[in-house]
Amino acid sequence: MTASHGGRGRRVTPARAAYTVTFSRLSLLLLAVGAIHHHLVKNGRRVRAGLVVEAGDIWETHHYATVIGYGANAVSPYLALDTVRNIYNSKLISKELNLEEAEKNYIKAVGAGLLKIFSKMGISTLQSYHGAQIFEAIGLSRSVVDKFFTGTVSRIEGLDLDGIAKEILVRHRLAFPEKPIPVNTLEVGGVYQWKRRGEEHLFNPETISLLQQAARNGDYEVYKQFAEKVNIQSEKAITLRSLLQFSERTPIPIDEVEPKEEIFRRFATGAMSFGSISHEAHSTLAIAMNRIGAKSNSGEGGEDEIRFQRKENGDWERSAIKQVASGRFGVTSNYLTNANELQIKIAQGAKPGEGGQLPGHKVDEWIGRVRHSTPGVGLISPPPHHDIYSIEDLAQLIFDLKNANREARINVKLVSEIGVGTIAAGVAKGKADVVLISGFDGGTGASPISSIRHAGLPWELGLSETHQTLVLNDLRSRITVQVDGQMRTGRDLAVATLLGAEEWGISTAALVVEGCILMRKCHLNTCPVGIATQRKELREVFNGHPDHVVNYFTFLAQEFREIMAELGYRTVNEMVGQADVLRVREDLDFWKLKTLDLSPVITKIESPPSVGLYKRMDQDHELDRILDWKLIEASKSALEKADPVSAEFEIRNTDRAVGAMLSNEISKKFGSVGLPDNTINIKLRGSAGQSFGAFSTKGIRFELEGEANDYFGKGLSGAQLIICPDREAKFEAKKNIIIGNVAFYGATSGEAYIRGMAGERFCVRNSGVTAVVEGVGDHGCEYMTGGYAVILGPTGRNFAAGMSGGIAYVYDPENNFSINCNKEMVDFDPLENDDLMRIRKLIETHRKFTRSGIAKIILDDFENAVQSFIKVMPKDYKKVLLKHKAKEQVVPESVSNNIV
Amino acid sequence: MGKPTGFLEFKRELPKTKDSKERIKDYKEIYLDFGEHKILDQAARCMDCGVPFCHSGCPLGNIIPEFNDAVYHKDWDKAYMILSSTNNFPEFTGRICPAPCETSCVLGINNPPVTIELIEKTIIENAFEKGLVQPHIPAKRTGKKVAVVGSGPAGLAAASQMNKAGHWVTVFERDDRIGGLLRYGIPDFKLEKWIIDRRINLMMEAGIVFKTKSEVGKNVNANELMTEYDALILCTGSTVPRDLPIPGRDLKGIHFAMDFLTQQNKRVAGDQFMRKDEILATDKDVIVIGGGDTGSDCVGTSNRHGAKSITQIELLAKPPDERDSNNPWPQWPMILRTSSSHEEGCDRYWSVLTKEFIGERGRLKGLKVVDIKWSVNKKTGKSGFEEIKGTERILPCNLALLSIGFVHPEHDNVIEQLEINVNKQGNVSDIDFQTNIDKVFTAGDMRRGQSLVVWAISEGREAARNADRFLMGEKSLLEARDESLWELA
Repeated sequence: MTASHGGRGRRVTPARAAYTVTFSRLSLLLLAVGAIHHHLVKNGRRVRAGLVVEAGDIWETHHYATVIGYGANAVSPYLALDTVRNIYNSKLISKELNLEEAEKNYIKAVGAGLLKIFSKMGISTLQSYHGAQIFEAIGLSRSVVDKFFTGTVSRIEGLDLDGIAKEILVRHRLAFPEKPIPVNTLEVGGVYQWKRRGEEHLFNPETISLLQQAARNGDYEVYKQFAEKVNIQSEKAITLRSLLQFSERTPIPIDEVEPKEEIFRRFATGAMSFGSISHEAHSTLAIAMNRIGAKSNSGEGGEDEIRFQRKENGDWERSAIKQVASGRFGVTSNYLTNANELQIKIAQGAKPGEGGQLPGHKVDEWIGRVRHSTPGVGLISPPPHHDIYSIEDLAQLIFDLKNANREARINVKLVSEIGVGTIAAGVAKGKADVVLISGFDGGTGASPISSIRHAGLPWELGLSETHQTLVLNDLRSRITVQVDGQMRTGRDLAVATLLGAEEWGISTAALVVEGCILMRKCHLNTCPVGIATQRKELREVFNGHPDHVVNYFTFLAQEFREIMAELGYRTVNEMVGQADVLRVREDLDFWKLKTLDLSPVITKIESPPSVGLYKRMDQDHELDRILDWKLIEASKSALEKADPVSAEFEIRNTDRAVGAMLSNEISKKFGSVGLPDNTINIKLRGSAGQSFGAFSTKGIRFELEGEANDYFGKGLSGAQLIICPDREAKFEAKKNIIIGNVAFYGATSGEAYIRGMAGERFCVRNSGVTAVVEGVGDHGCEYMTGGYAVILGPTGRNFAAGMSGGIAYVYDPENNFSINCNKEMVDFDPLENDDLMRIRKLIETHRKFTRSGIAKIILDDFENAVQSFIKVMPKDYKKVLLKHKAKEQVVPESVSNNIV
Repeated sequence: MGKPTGFLEFKRELPKTKDSKERIKDYKEIYLDFGEHKILDQAARCMDCGVPFCHSGCPLGNIIPEFNDAVYHKDWDKAYMILSSTNNFPEFTGRICPAPCETSCVLGINNPPVTIELIEKTIIENAFEKGLVQPHIPAKRTGKKVAVVGSGPAGLAAASQMNKAGHWVTVFERDDRIGGLLRYGIPDFKLEKWIIDRRINLMMEAGIVFKTKSEVGKNVNANELMTEYDALILCTGSTVPRDLPIPGRDLKGIHFAMDFLTQQNKRVAGDQFMRKDEILATDKDVIVIGGGDTGSDCVGTSNRHGAKSITQIELLAKPPDERDSNNPWPQWPMILRTSSSHEEGCDRYWSVLTKEFIGERGRLKGLKVVDIKWSVNKKTGKSGFEEIKGTERILPCNLALLSIGFVHPEHDNVIEQLEINVNKQGNVSDIDFQTNIDKVFTAGDMRRGQSLVVWAISEGREAARNADRFLMGEKSLLEARDESLWELA
């Protein structure tokens, strides 16, 4: 490795020393990089040199990411490229290309992988990621970390230099054996798939078949065999919790322990979207969980309304927890109304910082409809929620959702990583009812490979940190703490409870009970057991049954109660947070395990008895004096008999989420159909607070005279929003901002007429609203998937980024729109008759409702003015529409369900 | 894997067999050719599971998804390399293994499983054709000498591996030809014997010495072996057949299956027998007592002899056509199996108890049998049967073949001479394949009780690892069934 002086120097001549020692995995290489980088930083010389790495043991994206994250400016992966050459020369590449192209493809793939990793953290350039050290270390001692990876967190200690050296020697001895090894094949590895002589996996052929057998036959003895294989990992120590044991306490008879029904209501299955898994797999979980008084989770794909009604035999397919993820797929007022819990997904345990991804071929007609999106078009949830850029924003969203369904608990899902305790404290202060700490294990087989092993952290760390932080700040008693991440047995639940959780989520194991055999082909839509697929012929062989799922959770509760009895706990509440009952095992001899220090995890914070250790009181959501109560009062006869009503009110900027609670009442009564347009006519004058018109349903027409703040029309579900400046305003409407940022985020239907300009991210993730506005800021129509946006003025830059559906019409008489548009996913198409009619009608309506000046100007000279309109047409959307036309199929909205 | 959607596009297909009336005219293998392109389609059905149950179900831990993928890509060299890293004799298992890999194949959950055995056979035959299969001559010799007793699949595997590790190996076989049950138990029409010869030649070229007609404990003194050799690996199999000591057992015409089958194999190899010693089914009413694989082999052989009638009777109840609910995937399915021999002509009956051999003038004439009913005692949980009144009858029979299993190895040879401990079942006791005598190891049916060829190979390999470690004083570098190389370093 060399550092070459001189900023411009393109010539890098690495001196490759004559090594006889092979580098082991990444440890030696990464140590060297970190050491040199930090040494130069400490001496103030870092910027004078570039760090070039030439190594044989770099091939996966994560390897590149760590080396760059710890200081390398450039990487020469000689063995990886040699391998490409070898593959090429062995004629294993079926495509026609030459060696140079093959090498370029590999390098391009590395770049794409790195880009994915950067973007997870909100970083757009390599330069920003370089030296940023966005990692946490697990299993490395502080001494090593402080010297070589200064600043990186390492919470449970681990290997020191001697230990690392020992690891390297192991590999060295195999690579340069003293006597010849009569084996001529490389080890199979088994890191990403189970292999017999490879890495240990807790889900292996034995445990999978035991669990399935136990659940299918209702056999508790077989379940116990499964639990034993998972719980007792001994020296293999795959999970942190396997290193812990319970202290001796006075046992009590098991009949004194609270009954299993009390345990059941603390269970949830994790968020797995309809779309990633089949309807059959998804609804089976819901039926089972509903049966036992627990909760299943919709995931982020919306939910088909037919599931909200109970079936004739009493089965209920409705997901008790409805997730609100960054894509806001299918999040309508009715969706939110039909829930016991609303979960805001800040991140996923298994792919933190990333949004979910559903490949296009898995978005069929049904899924497209439920998600209010276009079938065949891939769905990417943007990493951040565009309405959460701060803790205050999160508090706002919690408020919005609480308004949209005040009977539901509001749950915030966080991922286990250093600092999650602080975030959880913020979440508690933001009035969330539940916080979920999600561990790094598990997740779907469709995750990118670098995420599977290298993203997120064990829940043991995040949960203990969260509980301790909440207790320290006396916030613990007002929020429920939930945990998930590859929990499989009652013992896992017990450890989690002692570390601070009072509810638990189980996902993978529940799917295994439904037949999942961990194919890890979820992303290919070929799941042979009908779970992670949308193919009809595969869904037909789905073999899961709610009874099996119920059996499994019954066994979990039983095993958990047995442990409670052993430890002398009558109720779960008594057990929460009693971390001092856990001890590190003394009977583990393996040298690596002895270097760990789990004390930070099993510390019980000292706290006075007044500080609760589990949820004891409700949050004060401050809903008593909101404006919507008045709106609901005024709309009484509309709600009872669908009579048209009208009313006028003053509005102030402390009136937030106006319309959400009223819409909840409408949805409760009238479902997603709502009321006829303008049944409830509300005129408002003044400054509207955040989230004006949030989740507002069909039947409401808000006419706001004044201005509004951010999140205007968030999640709009069919209402009509009209806004124009105050009658006494003297400024020119079309040149001034009248609504804030992130308008219509996740909106699914409705109309809006805005006389004035909008801020940034107008119509981000819009799925079906028709909106007319007179100018927008940057990132207009970002990630839009449906609806129509008519922009009668200038746009900011990066318009239509990620836009995969819907159409935007931009009025561009000055010809400067093109440079502001992100053309990656859209084309500029000529206007057809449909478009002309649509534009005309919308502008006429806009003029009628708002007396817009620019509307009048355009209408007065329509034939000419319309020439200046640009039709922004998403490529994917166009393709799908053409395909439909060719097949003469009915357009998505009217497709019927194909439930087998 | 080769093709993600392969399992949706292609159906399971096996090569056709020769017409059953034609094939009983000889003892050749019964399968017709299968085009290479068809094998590729079959390999494409493999889904490269995230948890390959086949790989777990295979007693050898064959790295199946990888070699399926290699075959799909027509990379036969690589496929052979992968296969041979875990299986010394794929040409045997590829023909006669009952394929626990296939019954645990994930595709088999709701579809016919991947044709793993066929692919295995194709890979190895292809490798032989291409000259890829070379004698494995170790780079360095250790100077240690090992004696392997028994040249069945366990002994051959142990010998192969020990030689690979650099030791000098001598195999002692009491029969006149090498192969144990491979040669003298399995009929030719399932495994032609040139296949064994082909492999033995390679082993000899690699430096392994074979001594036939050498029975350790009889004409070869076991104690001498103990002084001459640094380690012994005993693989004499489980050869004591279970008997049926009912009235009439002394009648002429009642034989153990193995005597019948071995004789036929020798006949095919060119040996000739005295008339009085011949056991032939020609023109006879044959009853095969025992419904397992050995019994099935007797059926096939009897058909080829031109028997008048062949009946196979079994004590246990008729297995279901499909898996029982308490016999779920991926367990070995206890279902009704119909072999190629059955297709050639045979009547089968289950839940039949043989009560007496009926004879005339000292020769077998018939079998007195009765139908039975199985039930489980609710209190003890044990199964038992009772005779169904009125079903007693006599089945005509002049040749009865007893194929009711093997109980344990013969004790009156090396076991006796060296005073090797045996357990309750009569099998050799061991700890990690090592007997009560430090330098004496054991593998195969001799240790496990009667089992499959694939298990024997696996046993031979594992015993070799343990013996290698014993000889060298450090962990063996031979491939393990379950341990990774990392653990050895």
